[in-house]
Amino acid sequence: MNYGHPVRFGTFVTPVSASPNTPVELARRSEELGFDLVTFQDHPYQPAFLDTWTLMSWVAGRTERVHLAGNVLNVPLRNPAVLARSAASLDLLSGGRLDLALGAGAFWDAIEAMGGPRRTPGDAVDALSEAVDVVRGILDAGDQTPLRVDGRHHRAAGAGRGPLPAHRIPIWLGAQRPRMQRLIGRKADGWVVSLPNLRPGDLRAGNKIIDEAAAGAGREPADVRRLVNIAGRFSPRRGGLLDGPPQQWVDELLPLVVEEGVGTFILMTDDADMMARFAGEVAPALREAVDRELPAPLPTAEPRDSAARAARRDDIDYAGVPASLADSAVEPGDIAYPRVRSTYLRGGAPGLVLRPRDSAEVADALAFARRHPHLPLAVRSGGHGISGRSTNDGGIVIDLGLIDGIEVLDEATRRVRIGAGARWKQVAAALRPYGWALSSGDYGGVGVGGLATAGGIGFLGRKHGLTIDHVRAVEMVLADGSVVRASDTENPELLWAVRGAGANLGVVTWFEFEVDEVGDVGWAQLALDASDPATFLEEFGRVASAAPRDTTAFLVMGPPRRGQPAVAQVMAVVDSADPDVIVEQLEPFARIAPLYQQQVVITPYAGVMATASDGDHQGHGEPVTRSAFTREITPELAAAVADLLRSGVVYFFQVRTVGGAVADVDPDATAYAHRDAGFSLIAMGVDRKRLDQLWDSLAEHFDGLYLSFETDRRPERVADAYPPRTLARLRGLKRRLDPDNLFRDNLNIQPADADRAVAGATGVNA
Amino acid sequence: MTDYGQDLLFGTFVTPTAQPARYAVDRAVLADRVGLDLVTFQDHPYQPSFHDTWTLLSYVASRTERVTVAGNVLNLPLRQPAVLARAAASLDLLSGGRFELGLGAGAFWDGVEAMGGRRLSTGHAVDALAEGIGVIREIWTADRRGGARFDGDHYRLHGAKRGPLPAHDIGIWVGAYKPRMLALTGRLADGWLPSLGYLPGGTADLTDLNKHIDEAAAEAGRDPAAVRRLLNVGGRFTAQAGGFLDGPPQRWAEDLAGLTFEYGTSAFILADDDPAAIELFAAEVAPATRELVAAERSR
Ligand SMILES: Cc1cc2nc3c(=O)[nH]c(=O)nc-3n(C[C@H](O)[C@H](O)[C@H](O)COP(=O)(O)OP(=O)(O)OC[C@H]3O[C@@H](n4cnc5c(N)ncnc54)[C@H](O)[C@@H]3O)c2cc1C
Repeated sequence: MNYGHPVRFGTFVTPVSASPNTPVELARRSEELGFDLVTFQDHPYQPAFLDTWTLMSWVAGRTERVHLAGNVLNVPLRNPAVLARSAASLDLLSGGRLDLALGAGAFWDAIEAMGGPRRTPGDAVDALSEAVDVVRGILDAGDQTPLRVDGRHHRAAGAGRGPLPAHRIPIWLGAQRPRMQRLIGRKADGWVVSLPNLRPGDLRAGNKIIDEAAAGAGREPADVRRLVNIAGRFSPRRGGLLDGPPQQWVDELLPLVVEEGVGTFILMTDDADMMARFAGEVAPALREAVDRELPAPLPTAEPRDSAARAARRDDIDYAGVPASLADSAVEPGDIAYPRVRSTYLRGGAPGLVLRPRDSAEVADALAFARRHPHLPLAVRSGGHGISGRSTNDGGIVIDLGLIDGIEVLDEATRRVRIGAGARWKQVAAALRPYGWALSSGDYGGVGVGGLATAGGIGFLGRKHGLTIDHVRAVEMVLADGSVVRASDTENPELLWAVRGAGANLGVVTWFEFEVDEVGDVGWAQLALDASDPATFLEEFGRVASAAPRDTTAFLVMGPPRRGQPAVAQVMAVVDSADPDVIVEQLEPFARIAPLYQQQVVITPYAGVMATASDGDHQGHGEPVTRSAFTREITPELAAAVADLLRSGVVYFFQVRTVGGAVADVDPDATAYAHRDAGFSLIAMGVDRKRLDQLWDSLAEHFDGLYLSFETDRRPERVADAYPPRTLARLRGLKRRLDPDNLFRDNLNIQPADADRAVAGATGVNA
Repeated sequence: MTDYGQDLLFGTFVTPTAQPARYAVDRAVLADRVGLDLVTFQDHPYQPSFHDTWTLLSYVASRTERVTVAGNVLNLPLRQPAVLARAAASLDLLSGGRFELGLGAGAFWDGVEAMGGRRLSTGHAVDALAEGIGVIREIWTADRRGGARFDGDHYRLHGAKRGPLPAHDIGIWVGAYKPRMLALTGRLADGWLPSLGYLPGGTADLTDLNKHIDEAAAEAGRDPAAVRRLLNVGGRFTAQAGGFLDGPPQRWAEDLAGLTFEYGTSAFILADDDPAAIELFAAEVAPATRELVAAERSR
C-alpha cells in the first residue's frame, strides 16, 4: 500500500575527511541536480570520516534548498538534549532544512573505545526510545513546562524546551529488526532502511509491524515515512536488481512506492555522474509512473500527521483552504503555531492563521472567511494592536506579515510604498539612507498596517503630523474580495475613511506614503521626581504644549510603590541635530521636578525605533486599557489622574502630546477627527471592571478617544472615537462596502440602516 | 610589565541568540568583512534561547572567508571530549585552519544536570577539564601508532582510533579565574580567555592571575609566552573620553595597548552586538592599537 507521501529523492555522500571538500561539493551537486535531501553516515569513532554534525552544519551554509540529514546519527555518542537543540539551531540557520535520522548504534567496540557506553541490542532500543522522548520534548518549544524524561539511559531533569525550529523536524529511525520497528510505529516519523541489507519480503514485514504498532499507539500508518537507501549501477544491459538501464531502475522502484509505500529513495553513491543520471533519468520518470499507477496523484506538500490533525477545530473546513494559502497556513498542531497564535498583548488560540503574500491571496483568504461567517475574523499586520483583536479563540487570522516590502517609488517627491506587514523599525532603517523619516509611534516593533489605518501618534507628530497624514494612496481588499486603490482621485471617500477607520472597511495590503526629510534628532529619556504627581502632570502638560513644534514629548507614570521614590519618565524627540537647540528645548522638561537620570543622544530617527525586539509575540491573557483625548491637562484632570494612580488599578499611565501639525489638518479631512486634542492618554490595568468604573467617572475631562489604545468593548466607545458627522459618513460607507459586517472584530462601526440615505458616500471602483 | 610579544588579535563576542535566527550570523559575517581576526560565541547548551554553539560555529565558518571561529568557551560537561576532538578537527579541516578551541569546565550545574549531564564539584570539574584536554590531544595526535588510550576518572579512551589530523595546530584556550584553573591553564593550555567584566578588581587583577599561569607553566617546563593571554572586553564609543574603554577609538587603542604592555594581553574580544561598534573596533581601534604596540615594541 502507499501512504500518500510525496516521493522524495536523496543522496548518501561519504563524509571523507581526507579530502574534506569532496563531500561538500557532492552535497552542492546534489542540490543542483534537484535532489531533495543530502544525507551522511555518522560514525564518530571513525577518523576517516568528518564529524557528521559539523559537516552538515557546514554544508547548510553552502546550500540553499536541499534538506540535510544524518544517515543515521549515532545516539550513544551524542547527548540527545544537546542534539535536539543543535537540530533546532541548524533548522533555524538553514531555513527549515534539517531532518533528524537517529540510530541506536551498532559498533559497540568502537563506541566504547571513544568512552561511550556498551549496550545490548535490547538496551540500545530502550535508550533510543528515551532519546526520542528527550529530542521531541526539547523540540516541542510551544510547551512551556520544563522537560522531564526519567530514562535509564537518557534523562532530562527539568530542561527548558527550545529553541523552536523553523519547520517540524521529523524524527526518523534507522531500523532492521522488529523491536526497533515497533518503536518507530509508536513514536517516530520515519523508517530508514538500506535496501542492500534486505531480503525479499523484509520491507513488507517491517511495514506491517510498524503499521500495527502505529495503530496500537493511536497513530496512523501514514504518520511514518518509509525511506530506503538504494545502491546499484547503470549499465546498458539488464542485470540484477538496480543493475541496468534507467528504465529498469524505474520499473524496479515503482512497485516499492506503489505497493510497499516507500516515500524516499536515497542513492548511495559518491559518483557525481551517477547522481546526475539518476536525477535526470530515473527520478522524474519514476514520479510520473507513480502518478500513473496510483488512483490519485500524491500531494506536493508534506501532509500533516494525525497528531497535528487532531489539534484542529471542528468548525473550520481545513481541506477547503485555498490552494494559494495552503502552504503557508498555520494550524494549531503546527510547529509554527506558538509563533503566530498570540499578539504582543493578548494570548490567542486561533483555529487557522492564513498568511497571504499579496492582495489576490488576501482576497482568497477573505473568501474562505466569508464561508465561515460564524467564526471571529482577525486581521493582523504587526500584531502590536493594544486592542488585541488581531488574534482570537477558534477563529481565522489573516496575518499580513509576509507583505512587508519597502520600496521608494519616487525620490523627488519622497513617495514610498510600504507593505502592511512591515514594522516601523524596518521602515525607519530603510528610509535612513535617504535622510528621510516617517513619524510612526514610540515603538519600532509596531506594524505598519494597524498604525497607518488608525492614526499614528508619534515622536515627530507635532512637527510632521500623524502617520495617516502622510498616506497618499492605499491598495486594499474589500469584504467582497475586490481589490481597489484609493487615493485623492480614485475612491477618495475610501481614502478618507482608511485614515482613521481602515479596520472596519477592508484589508489594506499596501500604503503609499509621502515621507519627510528628517536628519538626526535629539532623543531624550529623562527620569524625574514625581512624588507630587498632580503638579507634575499639570506642569508637563504646560511645558509640552508650549514647546516649539520640533519637540514632541511623551510621559509615563506608574502607581506609587512603597519605599520607592515616585518617578516619571519623559521621552522626547527634538527634530534637530544641533546640540544647543536640543538642550534648549529639553531644559523646561528637566526643570519640572528634580532630575534623577537623563540620557540624551543625537541619532537618526531609525536609532529611536531600533531598540524594539524582533522576537515572536508571547502575549498572555486579555489587555485591559482605556484611552482618551483631552485638550489640555487641567488642574482637575491632573488631580483625578493622581487619584487614579493612587488607586493601584492602573499600572501604566501614558500621556502623548499631540497638537501642532496634527491640529493643522481639517477634522473632516480624515476619519481620525479629533484634531483639536492636545494630548492622548492611555491607562493600562488588569481589572477590567475597576478600570472601567474609574475611567468612566473621568468622562467630563475627555474629548473622545484614540481607538488604537482602547480595549473597552462596549458600543458607546465607537461614538467616542468618531464624532457624529464622521460616524455617519463611516456608517454609510460601511453599508456599501461591508454590509454583512465581515470586519467586525474591532471598534465596530455598524452599517447604516438600509432605509436611511447617507450623504457623502460615493461608490467604490475596483 | 610583561609583554609576551605575540601578534595582536581582535575579535567579537556575539550573543548566539536563536531569535532572530540569523542575528549572530549577520554579525559574524560583518566581523569577517571588516577584517576582524576572531568571531566567538558563548556556549550554554542548557539555554534554549541560544543557538547550539557548535552548530553556529560550523555554520558561521561556512559563511565566512577569513575569520577564525571559537567557542568562548565551550561547555565540556555537555560535550563528549573524544567526539568534540574529531568535530574540532573536522571544522578545522573544512575551514582551512580557521578554528580554535575555547574550553571551559562548566559552571551552571543545574543546567548541565537538567540536560542529562553529570553534576560535578568545582574541584572535580577542574580535573575533568584536564582529562578532557588530554583526551582531545590524544585524538589529535593522528600520526602516533596504536589506538588512543586514556584512563581518567571522568573520561576514558580504550584504544580509540586517532585523527583526523587538524589542518593546523589548534590552540586550546581555557576560560579560568581561580588558582586551580589558572594552574591548569599554565600547564596544559595554549591560551587563557577570561572576561574583564568578571574580574572584581578590573584590569589590576590581571597581574596576579598572570602570575599563577606563568608559575604553573614554568613548573611544567613550558615558556609562559606559550600561553596567549586573551581578554573579553566591553565599553562604550563616545565622542569625549570618559574613562577606560569609554571614549573615541583612539582612547580605546591607548587603553588596549596599555593592557598589552602591562599584562601581556594579545587578543581583545569585544563583547558588543552593535554592528556600529563592531565596525569601529575593526576599522579604527584595531589598527591604532597595533600601531601603538608596534611602535613601543620596536623601541
Ligand atoms: C508597545 C506599543 C507601543 C505603541 N505606541 C504607539 C504610539 O506611540 N502611537 C500610536 O499611535 N500607537 C501606538 N501603539 C498602538 C498601535 O499603533 C496600534 O495598536 C496599532 O494598531 C498596531 O499596529 P499593528 O499592525 O502592529 O497591530 P495589529 O495587532 O496587527 O493590528 C491591530 C488592528 O488593526 C487592524 N489592522 C491591522 N492591519 C490592518 C490592515 N492591513 N488593514 C486594515 N486593518 C488592519 C485590525 O483591526 C487589528 O486588530 C503602540 C502599541 C504598542 C503595543
